[in-house]
Amino acid sequence: MNDVLSIAEYLTTNKLEYEMTEPDLFGNSGQYTVYPTSEEELSALFAFVHMHQFTVNIQGTGSKRGYGGLIDQADLLISMEKFTGIVEHHSGDMTLTVKAGTKLEDVQRYLEAFNQKLALDPFMPYVSTIGGVIGSNDSGPKRLNYGSARDAVIGLRVVYPDGKVIRTGGKVVKNVAGYDMNKLFISSMGTLGVITEVTVKLRPLAKSTATCIISFQGEDRNKIYSFTRKLLNNSIEPISCELLDPVVSYEISGINKLSLLVSFEDVEKSVDYQIKYIQSLVEEEMKLTVLRNNEEKQLWDRLYQLPFDKGPEHDKDEKLFAVAKIGTINLNVIDILLKVMEIRKKDNIDIYTHGGVGHGLMQLYIKGKEREMIETLTKIRNITNENGGYCIVKHLPLAQRLVFDTWGETKGAQYLLEGIKTKVDPKKILNRKRYVGGI
Amino acid sequence: MKKKKLKTNDRHIHGLSQLLNDKQAILYHKEDLISYDCDGFTIHKSLPRAVVFPHSTEEVARIVKYCHDHALPFLARGAGTGLSGGAIPLNNEVIISLVKMKRLIDIDLDNRRAVVEPGYVNLKLTNQIIERGYYYAPDPSSQYCCTIGGNVAENAGGAHCLKYGVTTNHILGLELVLPNGEIVEIGGNGVLDEPGYDLLGLITGSEGTLGIVTKIIVRILKNPEGKQTVLAYFDDIEDGSQAVSDIISAGIVPAALEMMDKTAIEGVEAASFPVGHPKDIAAVLLIEVDGIAAGIDDQIEQILSVCRNRNVREVRAAKNEQERAAWWANRKTGFGAMGAISPDYLVQDGVIPRSKLPEVLRRINKISEEYGLRIANIFHAGDGNLHPLVLFDARIPGETEKALAAGSACLKVCADVGGTITGEHGVGIEKREEMRFVFTDEEIAAQTDIRSVFNTDNLLNAGKLFPSPSRCAEVKKEMKEKIIG
Repeated sequence: MNDVLSIAEYLTTNKLEYEMTEPDLFGNSGQYTVYPTSEEELSALFAFVHMHQFTVNIQGTGSKRGYGGLIDQADLLISMEKFTGIVEHHSGDMTLTVKAGTKLEDVQRYLEAFNQKLALDPFMPYVSTIGGVIGSNDSGPKRLNYGSARDAVIGLRVVYPDGKVIRTGGKVVKNVAGYDMNKLFISSMGTLGVITEVTVKLRPLAKSTATCIISFQGEDRNKIYSFTRKLLNNSIEPISCELLDPVVSYEISGINKLSLLVSFEDVEKSVDYQIKYIQSLVEEEMKLTVLRNNEEKQLWDRLYQLPFDKGPEHDKDEKLFAVAKIGTINLNVIDILLKVMEIRKKDNIDIYTHGGVGHGLMQLYIKGKEREMIETLTKIRNITNENGGYCIVKHLPLAQRLVFDTWGETKGAQYLLEGIKTKVDPKKILNRKRYVGGI
Repeated sequence: MKKKKLKTNDRHIHGLSQLLNDKQAILYHKEDLISYDCDGFTIHKSLPRAVVFPHSTEEVARIVKYCHDHALPFLARGAGTGLSGGAIPLNNEVIISLVKMKRLIDIDLDNRRAVVEPGYVNLKLTNQIIERGYYYAPDPSSQYCCTIGGNVAENAGGAHCLKYGVTTNHILGLELVLPNGEIVEIGGNGVLDEPGYDLLGLITGSEGTLGIVTKIIVRILKNPEGKQTVLAYFDDIEDGSQAVSDIISAGIVPAALEMMDKTAIEGVEAASFPVGHPKDIAAVLLIEVDGIAAGIDDQIEQILSVCRNRNVREVRAAKNEQERAAWWANRKTGFGAMGAISPDYLVQDGVIPRSKLPEVLRRINKISEEYGLRIANIFHAGDGNLHPLVLFDARIPGETEKALAAGSACLKVCADVGGTITGEHGVGIEKREEMRFVFTDEEIAAQTDIRSVFNTDNLLNAGKLFPSPSRCAEVKKEMKEKIIG
């Protein structure tokens, strides 16, 4: 108890905004939540907690609190929610430096005025902070063309667990000076340091965009497979090529069919040409719907909001909600998606999914009671492992995470990951047990 | 093959030879080793202890384990085209040459990936698949002879990385022999986002200091449907630089945007691939747009009009593929072409924010005057990656040192305007000290900490990439003693 008091004393003495917090369903919280607004505050705070070996969790707005982690409460939760704002924007150089707590949507809205964008399409962009997106390397269907944070980030400022501030990368778009330390912090789930500033390269906003929904009549594996191959083995340059099961398709477009979501971003003539090309490709028993402007934007918004958890209190059966991410070799997405549809029918469980046939990443949603949910997740993990991939859980309450390992089995190089963690955070104070194999 | 006895008393040569299936796949005579005393950075030379030529991952692992167990320094080498000295055996290393591991293991066009051994030559991959409509994007100028293993070590770039990214953006998985001889797979069979720290990203560009890559899964791309290249001559280099900015600001993402200055043009026109660039112009721009054919003409029109607005002397699109290829051959052999106008040259590799181009060119000009050495400039202008080529004559005493100092001064300018010291050639031994232009001691220590996780005894490629910490520590210690004393 004394320890906790002394944290409160530190926060009060140093005039940091903070509050006491109660444990909740998702864990990864802290007995106190503090809202730093400057790197100096953070650096000093870490020097203090490091000295006293207090444990610290870190979050942006908390949208990924159900993503890994085996600890209910650390001594302190650092929220980056108020660590926001644009630091520098060099429009001509197409680079932007932004504070890590800034919401992705705010970054995009700012850039729109300059006809630029950050080419990233993570889920829940209205609540996700750029720091959180980078820390988890979250990406959506447009990964096919955009890439992910690991392709967009050119520099970071990071506060280490002992309070020192390290810059990685730089502010130019091409850089091989030293190790590519940016990569170490991207997808590190906050276990190595707190990202305070992010420098990214930008892209011009496309002059024209369109999204094609190609709906299949049935669920014939061979037909879907051969059409998808035909579509991909071609000179068109889709930004996304996402296969949706009928539930997801209905949810976002009102079309209750297994569908492909193929989008284009380019100059107008090129987009028009590619739509025509798709029209020529579509076979008789398929249906093509082309969306542009507002309709198109709304469709994508609905897709990105699918992981939003309204919470069991909003569900009359008090069912839990889980989100999983699957990685596989590109075209295996088709088989996995069909198997998920089979499980839905056979087990009568509320499960739905979509995945990119050009990049092999899938997102999966399950609503259900604890037992059936864990059983289903286990089945899915077995299926993905058989397909040479993995299944990790992006969202699940703490109690269930303690039963079903978020990350799955650890691989051969685990001791390297542990070695890195130990070098950077020898006292293991930061986001303890959040990541693979309990690092 | 007739079995020959090894003629040496070095017990480690015998020991290493025993580990190879082909016992003769080892060089140890001085006259054989001389070819391995440097790479593309020829200013520093140092002999290896031996060179071994493994044919398989297992052989590499056995050799590495032997070196590890006997505390022998060792390093990996591909085609030896590196420009920063990353493969130079500073510590009498055993060189593990990967040129015999040159198989193309698998091509999977449906899933857009290929699996190669590290000694596989970059351009061969594209040549293998281009007929079927695919290619491998990273295209360093040496692509006709450099290996993909070496590209991974250096995170190689190329003229077309403006739109398509550098090597790290195209690597999906690696097999790696760690410095203790253990074999590990990284990047889970090429599936994206394998859970865990991004070792794939960390190892790419680590200049052979974290492990030896023995298998690589790369992403391959579909050939763009259309492609067009524009050539523009400027009488004033600032107009050329402004045109570069204007093109980017217009929302065009060219596949490549290259620039050469007057001295560089003099070089390329005197060398093997002249195309008739006028000798009196200040700068030439080479701009390539690719993508959906229907969208290209409009972009070319826009580029032509941007150039005209910036007082271009002449601007035109390539008439045909032949002309386009000639322009590119002229540009891609640009470094070597300096040999036609100077006995020696030193290539530098700074990066700057694009908008600082005019300022930096002025300052490089000043450096040239100060040191009394001509500096040619070839650059990937679109991404701000400059290659100042310092022309000198090594036969004149002191001129090599002067060239090195002038090169370093160019990098200082790049760092000062918010850029960096290397965009694609790597630090190697050449730019170790210049690392201090961009990183603090603490930031360098953060990197060597990571090295120590992999390369615990620092037997693998020691002395590369980082400035010597001992010097720094000693200086500090000395100062401390002075203060205390």
